[in-house]
Parts: sequence; structure tokens; C-alpha cells
Amino acid sequence: MSKAWKRFGAPLLATVAAMTPLLWSVDAAAQAKPFDGVTLRVGTFGGPWRDDLVKYVQPKMEALGMKVEFVIGSPQDNLAKIIAARGREAPFDVVEILDAQIDQMADAGMLAPIDYAGIPNANQIEPWQRGANAVGNWTTQEVICYDKGKFAELGIAVPTTYKDLANDKLSGRVMYADITGGGGLANFAGIVYASGGDTTNVKPGLDTLKTFKGVKFWKAGGDIVSAFKAGDIYAAVAHTGWCLRAAKFAAANVATSHPKINAGKTGVLKVGWLGVVKGSKNPAAAMAFINAYLDEEFQVAFAKNSGVWPVNKKAMQRLRTEDPVFAAMNMLDAADVERMLRVDYKGVNVNNWYDQWNRAVSR
Amino acid sequence: MNPNNAPLAPPASRVARWRRPSVGAIAKYAWVTWAYLFLLAPMVVVLGSSLDGTTAYSGVVFPPQELTLKWYRQIPASHYNALGLSLVLGLSVAIGACLLGIPAALGVVRGKLPGKSMFLAFFRAPMQIPAVVTGVAFLKLYYAFGDATGLYLNATFAGLYLGHLFVATPYVIGTVVSVLQRFNLRLEEAAMSMGASRWSTFRRVTLPTIMPGVHAGALYAFMVSFSDVPIAMFLTAPGFLTYPVELFFGIETDFNPSVLASASLVILFSLGLLLLVQRVIGLDTVVHSRS
Repeated sequence: MSKAWKRFGAPLLATVAAMTPLLWSVDAAAQAKPFDGVTLRVGTFGGPWRDDLVKYVQPKMEALGMKVEFVIGSPQDNLAKIIAARGREAPFDVVEILDAQIDQMADAGMLAPIDYAGIPNANQIEPWQRGANAVGNWTTQEVICYDKGKFAELGIAVPTTYKDLANDKLSGRVMYADITGGGGLANFAGIVYASGGDTTNVKPGLDTLKTFKGVKFWKAGGDIVSAFKAGDIYAAVAHTGWCLRAAKFAAANVATSHPKINAGKTGVLKVGWLGVVKGSKNPAAAMAFINAYLDEEFQVAFAKNSGVWPVNKKAMQRLRTEDPVFAAMNMLDAADVERMLRVDYKGVNVNNWYDQWNRAVSR
Repeated sequence: MNPNNAPLAPPASRVARWRRPSVGAIAKYAWVTWAYLFLLAPMVVVLGSSLDGTTAYSGVVFPPQELTLKWYRQIPASHYNALGLSLVLGLSVAIGACLLGIPAALGVVRGKLPGKSMFLAFFRAPMQIPAVVTGVAFLKLYYAFGDATGLYLNATFAGLYLGHLFVATPYVIGTVVSVLQRFNLRLEEAAMSMGASRWSTFRRVTLPTIMPGVHAGALYAFMVSFSDVPIAMFLTAPGFLTYPVELFFGIETDFNPSVLASASLVILFSLGLLLLVQRVIGLDTVVHSRS
């Protein structure tokens, strides 16, 4: 017995004793999460926008071991913060960017390259949304939202161009996006192109705008909802999400019309992007966050709550059936979306646009 | 007793006052009423709209068409957190601005330094710089300071506090200077001639006399901090967002009437505080000198 113990028992016990910590460590490794100890800072919009991210995306990131902190602000403010921090640790890892800033940021070397291997959901978005330095994460279709009942009552045909809003019967009843508001630049570019101008010559658009009698301007989309609800306006130029809110929540009898821009373009598409700030210490975690943003479930929920249109194709398909009113307000076919005007802001002097707008509108 | 049971006539002087209101008096009352309406109307609209329950979501609806408190129940927790931070920050800034501003005002008014007017202009400078510029400048300053010392104040409470203190202190200096310039120095001379030390004289004579200016300055300092957006949006960080920043960026992308409910609570809290101060110690005591 003693011999057998010495020969087999003791070595076995020693082996088990030696293996135990190893087994524990293997178990611990199996339970370890890929982003344990990582804090990801995301520059995004505030209010319900941030709240949706907290509700839907943050739990997924926490399941990966990651802590997410949201820094709220407009893309312009976030750009200023990145500029102030240049050469030092980035103030955010991931940042929401509008199409008017994307070239400026990329050209200034503020954005890190996107590693699509870490974003499997990017397979569900259009190729042009898979940029080298940023990923498209939402779009808005900028349209003419009009009161069907009032237009019928006044005998006005469905508007197909911006110029249709110059109708005398709509005097004082049209609301346009202020250039400094969320959809301002895209909708201004829309009327400029539709009037024969371009990014270097915006005067034709301003001339058309001046033909709208008693036009009002909105900065926050809620203004449109309030104005439709109160019966103050019969038409507004805004993205479909605000028209949807007017229909759903203000019981307004509204529909959308994508204005004809020129022979090849109808409607205006604004695109939101996610970029990873150069200098981020957590690029892999950033890709995981972007992947969760593009996730079908989140894109559907986010579209329903925020009114922006998803980029995930499966989410688009689901919205056709899950939210038919919203689907009816948007162009859904890829070919139609491709024919919408996407403004190229490269080289555009936006401050010059503001100056010209202020001079024309204040007169 | 009235032996004839005839109704008693009001005193002649009162009849005269009521029967002959002068045009000037009517105009005066009309003007005051208009001023009150102008000042209170926005608050009435906010309070009224926060009670409208006609839709699940809407913009501002006034007057309310169906009364509800549902928006009060839907105020996000982030609003309460931000409000708490803003109150603490505002009070800290008001106290800090007084600690800096009172000695600075005394130095400018009483000191024998050449170029006093230049100093006064210098102290007013933070009020004349656009707040957005101040915010960016502080952010850059904190980065530079951090590079030199390893202590980065950006995205910290201390950094936000210093930014607000910078713009709030001139208000205390301005109000205290204006009181000190009318200060009768013989009061201090009298105290010292009776054996009071300089500190005792300051504590028991000077400070009570300049208190209206201190209170007014502290109130301005609090309000500047409590309502600031442009500076805070550059200096806040996750975990400590101020109330106006939370509200501003909340309504930028969407509008939920719970914002109106949240703002209504702040209005009611402010009014309640004023009433409490009036009831307990009296507003006159707060804003007038005790000397």
C-alpha cells in the first residue's frame, strides 16, 4: 500500500495540486470578456438619441466587458473638442459626424482607418457607406412634408418641386429648415441644386427661397410638429422622421413628397457617420461599438424612436411591415435612394453659405 | 350707532381717491401690469404646457387642452442628476466668486494703486469675451497646463468650476465696487477710534454695509453658472453634465414635453425658495444693508 501510494498516489496528488490553479485560470480565462477594463468614450447627440444608445447598445457592450461613456454635443462642438486636443489623448474614441464635416475631419487626419473585420454588420450596409475612415450609421430623406387635407381643400396639387411652395395660397404657411439647424445645410443644398445652382453658386437657391411668401424657419424639428398640430403651417421642408412624428403624435394628415432636384436626382439624402478618432487607445472596442450600432435590432428600434432611417438592409425590410406609415414616407428601393442628391461638401465654404443666407433671409 | 339706519358713507378722502384716478396713475398701473405679464408669460407658458396631455408626443401646446402629470413622471433621471450638479456648482461658484471678488473690489476702491480704471476694466474683461471663446480657451489652457504639469483639468469638476468662476467673479466685483464707492469711510473711522481692530472693523462695519452688493453679486454669479451652456459644453464630461447642457442637447435632436415638466420644477423650486426666504428672514433683509 505504501509502495503503491508512493508510486502512484503521491505523484497523482501532486499533479492534481499542480493542475488546480491552472484549471482555475483556464476557467477564469473562459469567463474573461474581450474588453474587460476598457472604457470607450462616444461623442454623440443628447436627449432621446443618447438614451436609445444607453438602452440598447450599452448593455451589449457591457456584456463584452466594456464600459461606455457618452459625451453629448453637436458634431460641430465635438469637432472643436478634437481640434483642441490635437496631439494628445483623443477626447472620444468614437464620434458621430455629419456629412458636412466628414471630409474636413478626414483631410485633417483626425480619423483612424476603419477595420471592417471587426464590424460584421457592415455587410448589411451599402458599399458607399463603408468609408475608409467612417461608417454610415443612419440616413435621413429630406422631403416636402405637406398637409394632404389642406392642399386638397385649397385645390393645390401635390408639390413635386421646391418652387411649388411659392404658391400664393401657401402664403405664411410654409416652414423651411434654417441653415443653422440639423437639416439646414442639406435642405439648403437641395433648393440650390433644384434652382440650377451648385455648392459654389448658391444664389439661385436663395432667389427661390425668397419667392416663398411669409416663409417661416425651423431649427428644432419639434417646431414642425407643433406648427402642424396648431394648424399654423401646411407644408414643411424637413426629413421624413419629423413628418412621421407630425402624423403619429400630432394627428396631422400629412404625407411626403421627394422634390425633384434635376433630371437625374429626386430628393435629398443626408447621411450620419461614425468615425474612430485617431489616437484612440481602444480601436477594437470602437469597432465593436460600431458593429452594435449597425445591428438590425438596434437599427429598427432606433428608427422607430428617433425617426432617422436605418442603413442596415434587414432593418429597412422589417420597417416596411413594422412601420408602414414610416415606410410610405421614405423611398425604399436602393435604386431610388441612389438617385437622391447626396451633397459633396468637399471644398465647400460653409461660412460663405451662412453669410449669403443671413444676408438674403434677413432682408 | 347710526340712528337713521342709513348706510354709512365712505370717508370723503377715500371716495375722492377712487373716483379720480389720474391718467398718469392708470398709465403707471398699466405699465407695471404689462411688465409683469412680459416677465411672467414665458414661465406661465412653460408651466401650462407641461400639463398638456392631449398627445403622446408633441411640441409646446398652450393652453393645455387636457390636464395630466404624466410628463412629470417621465422626467429622465439624468435631468435630476444634472440639476443636482448645477445647484452644487452654482453655489460653489457664488461662494468662490465672493471670496475672490470682495478683496478685489476693496483693493480697487481703497488701494492706492495707479491706473485703477485699468484694473476695473481688466476685471470686467471676462464678461466681454464670448462664452464660447472662453470655453474653448479654457479647454486649450487645461491641455497646455496638463502637458506642463501632468495634471489635466479638462473633463473634471475642478476644470468646470474654474471656468465658471472666471466669468462669475466680475459680477461680484462690479456690485461690491458700486457699493464701496458710496461707502461712508467715517463709519470705519468711528469703529477704529473706539478701539476696534482692522479685522473687527471689516467684519462688523464694512462687510454688513456692503452686503447688498455681495448678495447681488453672489446671486448673479450663481445665475451665470446655473444657466451657462457655451462654457460647460466644452468642459463637462460623462458623469457630470450640467442641467442647461443636458436640456440644450436634449431638445436639439428631439423634443419631449418632459423637458417642460423638468423646467417647470425648476421654476417652482425657485419661486418656492424666494417665498421661503421672504417668509423666514424677509427678502429686504437679504438685499438691504443691516448697518
